[in-house]
Amino acid sequence: MARKIEEENEILERETGEGRSLGGRGGRKERMRERLGGKLNPTELEIEDVSHMHAGHAGVRGNSSGETHFNLRVVSKEFEGKSMVKRHRLVYDLLKEELESGLHALSIVAKTPSEV
Amino acid sequence: MASSLSAAVAAVAAATRPIKSRAGIKTVLSLAPRFQSLRRLSLFARPQPLRPNPSLSIRCFSALSPQLKSTLDTVVNSHKVLLFMKGTKDFPQCGFSNTVVQILKSLNVPFETMNILENETLRQGLKEYSSWPTFPQLYIDGEFFGGCDITVEAYKNGQLQELIEKAMCS
Repeated sequence: MARKIEEENEILERETGEGRSLGGRGGRKERMRERLGGKLNPTELEIEDVSHMHAGHAGVRGNSSGETHFNLRVVSKEFEGKSMVKRHRLVYDLLKEELESGLHALSIVAKTPSEV
Repeated sequence: MASSLSAAVAAVAAATRPIKSRAGIKTVLSLAPRFQSLRRLSLFARPQPLRPNPSLSIRCFSALSPQLKSTLDTVVNSHKVLLFMKGTKDFPQCGFSNTVVQILKSLNVPFETMNILENETLRQGLKEYSSWPTFPQLYIDGEFFGGCDITVEAYKNGQLQELIEKAMCS
C-alpha cells in the first residue's frame, strides 16, 4: 500500500513538474531552482544550502529534512523598478510552498542585470 | 514599556483563540509548524495523507484577526524603531536577529524589540501583517523596512542611518 502511494506520488511529481513531497525527501534546492527559474527568468541563479550552519537552532528542531537555510543570489530583469522589499517579497512568494514545508530562512541577494 | 507592550499583544492573541474555537475553527494556525511534523509522523503510520497537500488547507486560515491587526497598527506606530525578533535584545536566539540588533545598537538609537518566540499567534499573525514570512522584521516610523539582508545592505550604504535620523526628527 505504502509503496503504491509512493509510486503514485512520483508519477504525480513527474506529471506536474513539481515536488509534492513536503520535506524529508530532499530536493528542495532543485525545486527552488525550478520555481525561481521559471518565473524570474534569471541571468544568474545561485542557490546554496547552508542548513548545516544552523543545525540545532530553535526554529529547526522537528524538521527532519534538514533543508532549512539557504543563500540565494538572483539576477533578473524582473527586479527592475522594484524596491528591495518588493524583490524579496516576490522571491518569498514564489517559494511559498517551500516556506510552508520547512524552509526556514533565506538570505537573498536580488539584483537587476544593470546592478551587477 | 516592552513588557506592557508584550502583555497587550499577548492579551489580544490569547483573546482571539477562544473566539476562533467558538466559531468552530480550530486553532490550526498556532499548530501550523507542528502540523508539518505531525504529518510527517503520520507518514509512517498511514501514507494516504500525502494528498491533498496539507499546506493548502493551512492557507485557508488567517492568523491575523482584526483585533491583532489593530493592536499591531498601534504597536508599530508607537515606536520609531521596532524590531520583531527571535529572542531579546540582550539574548538574541537567532543569528539574523542578532545581526540586526547589533546594527541598531551600533547606531546608538533607542529601539524596542519584541520576542516573537514567546507568542505563536503573534508570530504567525505578523507574517501576514508584514507580508513577510521570516524574522527578524524591522519597522521604522510605522513602516515595514525589511528583514536582515535588507537592513544589512541599507546599513552598509548609509540609507538606514539616514532613514532612522529622519524618523527620530519627525
